Amino acid sequence: MIETLAANETLLVFLYALATALATGLGALPFLFVRNVSDRFVAYSHAIAAGLMLGASFGLVSEGTVHGRLETLGGALLGVLFILGTQRFLAGYDEEELMFGAVRGESARRMMLMMIVMTVHSFSEGVAVGVSFGGGVTLAAVITIAIAVHNVPEGIAITAVLRPRGVSVPRCAGWSVVSSLPQPLMAVPAFLFVEAFRPALPWGLGFAAGAMIFMVLVELLPEAFLEGRRAPVAMVATLTLVGMMLFQRML
Amino acid sequence: MSSLDPILIVLLYASLAALAAALGVVPHAVAGRLPLPVLGWSNALASGLMLGVAYSLFAVEFSAGLFGGAAGALLGVLFVRLVHAGTGTTDLDLNQLDELDPAYGYQVVLVNTLHSAYEGVAIGVAMLVSLSFGISMAAALAIHNIPEAMILTAIVAGRGVSLSHAAALAVATNVSQVLLAIVTFAVVGALPVLLPWVVGFAVGALIYLTLAELLPESYREAGHTSIALVTLIAMGIVVALGGGAPIQ
Repeated sequence: MIETLAANETLLVFLYALATALATGLGALPFLFVRNVSDRFVAYSHAIAAGLMLGASFGLVSEGTVHGRLETLGGALLGVLFILGTQRFLAGYDEEELMFGAVRGESARRMMLMMIVMTVHSFSEGVAVGVSFGGGVTLAAVITIAIAVHNVPEGIAITAVLRPRGVSVPRCAGWSVVSSLPQPLMAVPAFLFVEAFRPALPWGLGFAAGAMIFMVLVELLPEAFLEGRRAPVAMVATLTLVGMMLFQRML
Repeated sequence: MSSLDPILIVLLYASLAALAAALGVVPHAVAGRLPLPVLGWSNALASGLMLGVAYSLFAVEFSAGLFGGAAGALLGVLFVRLVHAGTGTTDLDLNQLDELDPAYGYQVVLVNTLHSAYEGVAIGVAMLVSLSFGISMAAALAIHNIPEAMILTAIVAGRGVSLSHAAALAVATNVSQVLLAIVTFAVVGALPVLLPWVVGFAVGALIYLTLAELLPESYREAGHTSIALVTLIAMGIVVALGGGAPIQ
């Protein structure tokens, strides 16, 4: 009896976490209303992605420091090193060999990096979900809704990078969901072995924040400044960041 | 310490942060004219410290008042945007070392003075939150003032200004920081209802000016990877200094 209950609870955690992953796909929907892809659209969508990711990282760091300040900083360092390693790995390929859908070369490299950053950061979020369910599944529905809503901006960030390079909106939604699939996968072991996973939490949160901030600084902001004027780009990024901070605090 | 009037404590730390700007001439005194990438990295260091400071304020911001904080941030962004447009300092590059136009000279001094003013607001509100938070904020901004002064020195030294005068100028542009720190501390201390608004204002203003004025030019002075790394390390320094600690 108790075993079936535990198995059911585990299934429940998996299903809840899967639902939050599917919610990421909703982030692609606003892009249905944008018809033509101009230089300015590229600049502003990169600025939006930058604001969302910086805001999300601020939230991750402030949660991480509650569990351990140095561990969070250590995790951030590992996150940066991971992205540097991935960049080096991708640079090892011939520009023309790299393909993302029908896109080749430099654009394909940036799209892949974005997908890798967002997918890897979902592992840490999956752990956070599992650990927070560890207290019991009573609050599961509330936590699930909160995380599902919080995933939508991540879908927006991914679509903001893929869409200007010609990926269709349904495919952007698909890639967004893919980037969040590690959440249900990591939530289950984290839920079952809460005590073992808890110490890893600040490292994971720091890792996710470090990787995302680095991606923003090394790829998204320079691209946005290249395609658009500084003042409006900065305005869009800052307001998105403030909106994201407000959004996280309201959940 | 407790015998000191709180406003004198704010004066003391804000002044120390402003005086730190004088250290910005040291690299020039030691190494002569600095190469462009070094200025880019100084800029990135200044940017990262600024973003870190904004992050620390964010950690307090919304616990004090959600909508006041957000509305204050919006006001901060708009204020910086309008003031910099009104004073002709929008899109001003701080890397025109050979530009000798008098207009460029005063704009550079003006923009430095404006930046310092917003930083002063940050010190003032941080001191209201708690003394230790205020001190860590003043420390982060003191470090920030050094690379900022390095860039200012590079520009004015190109115009034949001596290093001692450049040091004085760097400190002088930061006097607005001391003034705004004290005014913010006194006014918000008397009207605590303003706290979330002013914290939000500082967050919005600091993030906007970092993204609009500090980072874009640094990308043109050094490689993207090195700029991103220096910025992140600087943000890490602020977090390590205790920024973003939960407020008791």
